[in-house]
Amino acid sequence: MKKMMIVLLSVLLIAAFGSLAGAKTLKVGLDADPVSLDPHVQLSGGMLQLSHWVFDPLVRWTQKMTFEPRLATKWKRIDDLTMRFYLRKGVKFHSGNPFTAKDVKFTVERLKKSVDFKGLFEPFAGVKIIDDHTVDITTKKPYALLLNMATYIFPMDSKFYSGKDKNGQPKDAIVKIGPSFALNHESGTGPFKVTYREQGVKTVFERFAGYWDKKSPGNVTKMILTPIKEDATRVAALLSGDVDFISPVPPQDFMRIKRDANVNLFTYPGGRIITVQMNEKRRKEFRDVRVRQAIVYAINNAGIVKTIMKGTATVAGQQSPPGYAGHNPACKPRYDLKKARALMKAAGLEKGFTCTMIAPNNRYVNDEKIAQAVVSMLAKINIKVNLKTMPKAQYWDEFDAQVADMQMIGWHSDTEDSGNFSEFLVMCPNKKTGYGQYNSGNYCNPEVDKLTLAAQSETNLKKRAAMLKKIEKILYDDAAFIPFHWQNHSYGARKNLMVKPIINTMNFPYFGDLVIK
Amino acid sequence: MKATWQRFKSSYLLYSFRRDKVAMASFAVLVLLILTGLAAPLVSPYNPYDPSSIDIMNSELPPAWQDAGSRAFLLGTDVQGRDMVSTMIYGLRLSILIGCGAVTLQALIGIFIGLIAGYIGGKVDALLMRLADIQLSFPYLMVAIFISAIFQVAFGIGRYAELAVPLLIVIIGLSEWPVYARTIRASVIGEKNKEYVEAARVIGLNRRLIMVRHILPNTITSVLVISTIQVANAVMSEAALSFLGLGMPVTKPSLGSLIRSGFEYIFSGSWWITIFPGILLVIFVLVINLLGDWLRDVLNPKLYKGA
Amino acid sequence: MFAFIVRRIGQAVLVMLVISLVGFSIKNRIGDPVRDVVGERVTPAERAALRQKLGLNDPFLVQYVRFVENALKGDLGLSFFYKKPALKVIISKAPATLELVFVTALILIVVSLPIGVFTAIRPRNWFSRFTMAFSTLGVSIPVFLTAILLIYVFAVTLNWLPSYGRGLTVDIGGWQSGLLTLDGLKHLILPSISLASIMLPLFIRLIRAEMMEILETEYIKFAWAKGLRRSRIWFLHAFKNTLLPVITVFGVQIGIMFAFTILTETVFQWQGMGFMFLEAVERSDTSLLVAYLVVVGVIFVVVNTLVDIIYGLVNPTVRVAGRK
Repeated sequence: MKKMMIVLLSVLLIAAFGSLAGAKTLKVGLDADPVSLDPHVQLSGGMLQLSHWVFDPLVRWTQKMTFEPRLATKWKRIDDLTMRFYLRKGVKFHSGNPFTAKDVKFTVERLKKSVDFKGLFEPFAGVKIIDDHTVDITTKKPYALLLNMATYIFPMDSKFYSGKDKNGQPKDAIVKIGPSFALNHESGTGPFKVTYREQGVKTVFERFAGYWDKKSPGNVTKMILTPIKEDATRVAALLSGDVDFISPVPPQDFMRIKRDANVNLFTYPGGRIITVQMNEKRRKEFRDVRVRQAIVYAINNAGIVKTIMKGTATVAGQQSPPGYAGHNPACKPRYDLKKARALMKAAGLEKGFTCTMIAPNNRYVNDEKIAQAVVSMLAKINIKVNLKTMPKAQYWDEFDAQVADMQMIGWHSDTEDSGNFSEFLVMCPNKKTGYGQYNSGNYCNPEVDKLTLAAQSETNLKKRAAMLKKIEKILYDDAAFIPFHWQNHSYGARKNLMVKPIINTMNFPYFGDLVIK
Repeated sequence: MKATWQRFKSSYLLYSFRRDKVAMASFAVLVLLILTGLAAPLVSPYNPYDPSSIDIMNSELPPAWQDAGSRAFLLGTDVQGRDMVSTMIYGLRLSILIGCGAVTLQALIGIFIGLIAGYIGGKVDALLMRLADIQLSFPYLMVAIFISAIFQVAFGIGRYAELAVPLLIVIIGLSEWPVYARTIRASVIGEKNKEYVEAARVIGLNRRLIMVRHILPNTITSVLVISTIQVANAVMSEAALSFLGLGMPVTKPSLGSLIRSGFEYIFSGSWWITIFPGILLVIFVLVINLLGDWLRDVLNPKLYKGA
Repeated sequence: MFAFIVRRIGQAVLVMLVISLVGFSIKNRIGDPVRDVVGERVTPAERAALRQKLGLNDPFLVQYVRFVENALKGDLGLSFFYKKPALKVIISKAPATLELVFVTALILIVVSLPIGVFTAIRPRNWFSRFTMAFSTLGVSIPVFLTAILLIYVFAVTLNWLPSYGRGLTVDIGGWQSGLLTLDGLKHLILPSISLASIMLPLFIRLIRAEMMEILETEYIKFAWAKGLRRSRIWFLHAFKNTLLPVITVFGVQIGIMFAFTILTETVFQWQGMGFMFLEAVERSDTSLLVAYLVVVGVIFVVVNTLVDIIYGLVNPTVRVAGRK
């Protein structure tokens, strides 16, 4: 027994200190770990982050929001419906299989089968293999955002994922709940291989020796990802040196991290708009545009950004963040309590009314606290709000059922484009088309619908931007929803990590390119 | 009335109370806390439940004696800009309300079941006590968590804020009744065969009357002793539930929820959001426990083993 | 004895049925598990199809009967989040909680026995008085507050001890142990102290009370009269007889300690069963919740039965078989 323990301990010591020469280990603490190794099992920020580490997309976004060639080296439009992609040669999967056009076709077809991704890939007709390293991707209608969507195509090893696993289940099966081959096995082309995974506890990545991108400056040889759910604990882990990199950093700890001599704080403006919708079906008061405007005027969203968010967000007056085609500089944030009271008086509601509100408490940064602030702000125009907050797992059902008069929702555009906001959040809810799926305010303006649909297939970018800007103005004047802010992404890292070049507005830190000094 | 007062004045209880400095001090503090809590709307500088009085721009102000502190907020403010002093006083009021309410409920259920089990005996007794055993074998906190989860769903969202207090009373009340039931049953069985009960039965008094009039009064001392400890426990349970996010809604924070919300800020230096409510909670529970200890020693020296 | 055990098993089965029924009836009320496993963009129709596939739309009784049938075969369902059999998930989380409870129990024994005995034989000593006063304070501090204060002092301010998690663990035949590495032991210190803090005063008082009571008994007086040595009377005659009731209470309190682990594990992000339970509530991982309920139920019934049996064996005045 004693001998065994000595052996065990020495093995551990070797594991801990043996990786000294040249090896760089990165310990990452995130609020959650990826739910699976199958990139198509869930469409979520966490899964896309994983995809960038283990797989590699055809093209990816740069910090300047341009497209960077990855597995596709070039692309060109052939006609209104088709785009040709020239694939990188000499790329190998983790399994050793070579990467070819077949894998792209396999991946797009699998995406169209995925419950989570099939909506996004609905406009796509299919993939035609021209030769081993050329594919044509076609859409059903002219589609302005084809290249944006190519950032979602992370080719998977078609050979590796073919056949049946030992349970007799096809290896390419996308299984939401229960075991599947892709849940625990991966073969991508990305910078890291997964060598160990215990869900909810730890995932270990090791650099893939055959990684195609020899130009990448990244020198991380091993990455250990630990989920640390509690904000305060995550920060403590960074400061005590237990981990080298954390995200997100809770706003309340920004100063502490800035003050510390060993760590750096990085923030990057994100595109997620936080809003509260006012249900016009449930409350006749909300049908009066003056009441909606009064509420927007009563919300001191700049104050929320300053105090609760500690300045780590951009105050918003509309859906589209700066830099998006639809961002309309005329839609400025408005806070004016006097005006709010006057509007309530004009609507004949100076005595106010009572309504209900729900918000999640673990979905957005400080969501619960923002909701609480709304309660006290609306109290100042005599609207009494009964607030209930709940974990996100319970929240979305309640949201769909529209159980409360006011409901919080944050949205990040899937396509990094303004149209996506309107399609989901403010178009008239329509079960058949799926538009307005998250419009729990039941705001319905035919003009907004018309403009949004027209913008989808408008390929003249200037005209398109004008349409999207007009939508924002209409929504602004109608006070269709209460805008709060666009959340910033935040990262804390030890001083020797060169974090700046690898972060971006999508919140996908490209760890493959991370340099540790 | 006067006679009762006379009897109380010359009682052993008062005599030993006046000789015990700790008991007297605890009693004084407890009375002070309870009065403050009950008179919360009169004594607290602000009304933390009135959202219109809260300004987000006052958030996280440190206590008045620190540099950034403001005279207007003696012990500082929480992240929403609520005055800590007022919020703590209202939180204390909630603790008192929930503590006493839950214990009353526990006592009612427990005494009822205990009386029936003890007096009737046989199969009824076995069944009821088995039920108590089973519930006791599950830690009360778990029972409370489950019941709380069920209730949160059963009542709609808008009404939850209003109903939270009675709900917590029911939740904590339902989870600890076996403590009473067991004690009462034990003393009922002890009393049942005594001569005065026999006598009552011989006269032909009916069961219910015997139980309520004759047996129940004899169990009062043990009920009193348990109750003090149970109030302290109930206050702690409420704090624990709120700390886990299953108790009071965020807009009506209790001491437990204040401690929880402060925990997020303790690393960043806003220690007062956690520490002050924590101290208040400990003092409150401590004086109840000290009084409970004293009461137990005086009234029923044999009981002190169990608790 | 045999009849007693059979009856206990019968009761246990009944309890399990009730617990699983309760668990099942809240199952559909605490959120939709499908919601948590799909992204936010998935359409309602797709979600409905998934629910159908998982059998979540079946009538309550159908689901329940299916669950009981599978449970009898040892299958408590799949955890939605972990995508593994729920029982496996729980078992994999058990070592963390058990080690925490084990170390806490160790602290309890090592600290409470000597102090309890000392305060009993020297009740007027300043240390005894101090301990008794302090113990009341001890029971009055909620365990989560102790935990927060410990973190604040030892992890944040002094930076001596880690504030979260289990640290480095060693795999011994599937049992992830933190007891064998220095790092793991360091991580155990704060959580176990905060967990012990709530129980310690209780045990000191209990031991003291039992010991004092026994010191008053006739046979101890007789021993004094016989002129036996002090240490012999204290440690052989009195102490030995103190132990029996202490052991019984200890058994019961260990059960209660499991409940407090929920709080400790939350504060310290300790990857044990309590932490898993609260996470499952948050994620609406209902099948894991129900499985957890059943497992906890089994543990408690077994522990209680064992305590009763042991008690019956060592104390012949309690006739376990009759119990009427």
